[in-house]
Amino acid sequence: MQEYTFDGTDEYYLDPELKSIVNIALAMEKPLLLTGEAGTGKTQLALQVASALKMKSYIMRCKSTIKGEEACYTQDTVLRLNDARFGPADTGRVVDRFYDYVIWGPIGQAFRADEKVMLLLDEIDKTESDVQDNLLDILEECQFTIREVNETIKARIRPAIFITSNAKRELSDPFLRRCYCHHIAFPSPEDMRQIVDLHYPKTNAKLLEAAIAIFYELRERGFEKPPATSELLNWIGALERTGGIPDPKLPPLTGILLKRAGDIQRYRSKGGAGGRSY
Amino acid sequence: MAEVAEKGSNALFVDFVLLLRDYGVPASPKDLLELNAGLVKGIVHSLDDLFVFSRLVFVRRVEHMDAFERAFCFYFYGIDVPAVAEDDYALFHTKQFREWLEEQIASGELPRKAIWHYDPEELMKKFWDTLKEQMEEHHGGSKWIGQKGNSPFGHSGNAERGVRVQGQSGNRSALKVIGDRRYIAYSDKQQLREENLRQALESMKHLKNEGPRDLLNLNKTIYETSRNGGEIELVFERDLRDKISVVLLIDNGGYSMTPFAEITRILFSKLHERFEDMETYYFHNTVYEKVYSDFRRLRAAPTEKILQKREDTRIVFVGDATMAPEELESWGGSITSYGGRAQKPSMYWLGRFADRFKHSCWLNPIPKESWPNTYGAFTLTKIRQCFHMEDMTLGGIKGMVNFLSEK
Repeated sequence: MQEYTFDGTDEYYLDPELKSIVNIALAMEKPLLLTGEAGTGKTQLALQVASALKMKSYIMRCKSTIKGEEACYTQDTVLRLNDARFGPADTGRVVDRFYDYVIWGPIGQAFRADEKVMLLLDEIDKTESDVQDNLLDILEECQFTIREVNETIKARIRPAIFITSNAKRELSDPFLRRCYCHHIAFPSPEDMRQIVDLHYPKTNAKLLEAAIAIFYELRERGFEKPPATSELLNWIGALERTGGIPDPKLPPLTGILLKRAGDIQRYRSKGGAGGRSY
Repeated sequence: MAEVAEKGSNALFVDFVLLLRDYGVPASPKDLLELNAGLVKGIVHSLDDLFVFSRLVFVRRVEHMDAFERAFCFYFYGIDVPAVAEDDYALFHTKQFREWLEEQIASGELPRKAIWHYDPEELMKKFWDTLKEQMEEHHGGSKWIGQKGNSPFGHSGNAERGVRVQGQSGNRSALKVIGDRRYIAYSDKQQLREENLRQALESMKHLKNEGPRDLLNLNKTIYETSRNGGEIELVFERDLRDKISVVLLIDNGGYSMTPFAEITRILFSKLHERFEDMETYYFHNTVYEKVYSDFRRLRAAPTEKILQKREDTRIVFVGDATMAPEELESWGGSITSYGGRAQKPSMYWLGRFADRFKHSCWLNPIPKESWPNTYGAFTLTKIRQCFHMEDMTLGGIKGMVNFLSEK
């Protein structure tokens, strides 16, 4: 069996601990559930693993309306009815062939692939809990049944499965039991420096230091929606354009960091860093 | 590694699983098999690898993470880390601290009655310094915390029992990782604070009302009707947005309460969408005929008005329930308003809250373990007879939510 080892990429800063976790999950062929605050790079990690290991990726972006079955397949009954009535013309479809009218969902596509692929279930916590229960066995056994023809689709090569969750809702215990779970903590200032470095290798070091210091100071103030990594990256990008090192007393362009009206008001009424009021 | 898994490791890891369960991590035999499967595959090359791998196998929820790290530390290194954060005064109540203190006094490192000689902060720092020293250099030394460093499992047993400690895995060492205590903020025993607010919010989302079933589920209705041979069978469900009202009463008198007042307010305000309405009032020490609608306690609101709210309103008091007994029980006992002898005792008002609202709960920032012997134990016990009380830990919040959601 081929072994897969992920070493990080030049676009993604990989914490050594996280690296061994990813590699253990790959070796044990278990789904890896990544939880953590928004902006800690959960989804990115999965995509980077796929690109580094040259796997094709299949992504299911979960919604609250999803039922689970359509992640595997759906049958286009309307099209089939249409073909039966008016003929398939030159599309090559045959009304009697069931599989001509099946639309494979991301799970279906991943299980049918001929090589090792990456399957990402993004933000699983958005789905209803019975959907998660339905997915349990499918993911564990890497197979599902097509009800209409009672045929089983089984993955020949287990895909590398990544699941992310923003912890909007608690996941059920049976679901957790079938995964390896890792909570990605928010990056420390040192880690953040590395991350920023990957994205802005040429930016003025002073600007970065000042920006990171202000960023963490703002995070500590307990806003309703504290700024996350992506906001910091956007902010640094914007600062680069306007030029100049941000003044910690009155940082510019805070609209990029703080999004909620309540937070912005609180920030303004409390003033800049140091709790001065204006 | 493969032969290790077959021969020697079972006894080692069975004990470890049992220890984990003692620490409150729900480890199962299935996990043990999984661990063995991993060892057979040769994933583990060092104790540090074992740390990362076994954590993946045994820990599903972030609130168990800290307990796991402490158990691992105890089992494989013989270092007994107490379950409290570094700046937490609850340290003085832990077994680890008492044992350390006794040893320090026995060995002459600290004078007898050290507890009177030093500031609590200083003593706390000494304890954690010893612990860290031990984590950095964990061979020899006479300063071990716990039974002179000998856990019942023995740290030198690593090699004999089958896990070879060898090779550098490019990882940070397990001990270093444990020493960071990154996950302590998520542990169930932890006080509520900014970092674990999210965890508390998750529990709070279970707070729901048992409202009327007045929403027609069309799909289920059709299904049930067909099953019923065409006789119409209507299926009603509860509206998902079923809302409840909450009244939050916060004791913000005294410095000790300030941080907790703020965090509870944030906790509930983040959930405001889920509540039909939420009102916050403030009081000092305990409730009399008036409470206040602003933080500085200037705008008074009659308590009577809150008492007229719907019976299924959830009432949450936040306070340390610590005061002089007469504040609670005497006529005219309030120390802030001057109602004289005509003022009804606070117990009267609290009793009315408890009678009117079945779902009322008292959140206390003082840890549960200290309730019987805290300075305010008398009034605390009195209030506890009135209200269901929980402490302000993640576990306590869960307890509160369960209590408030009960039928």
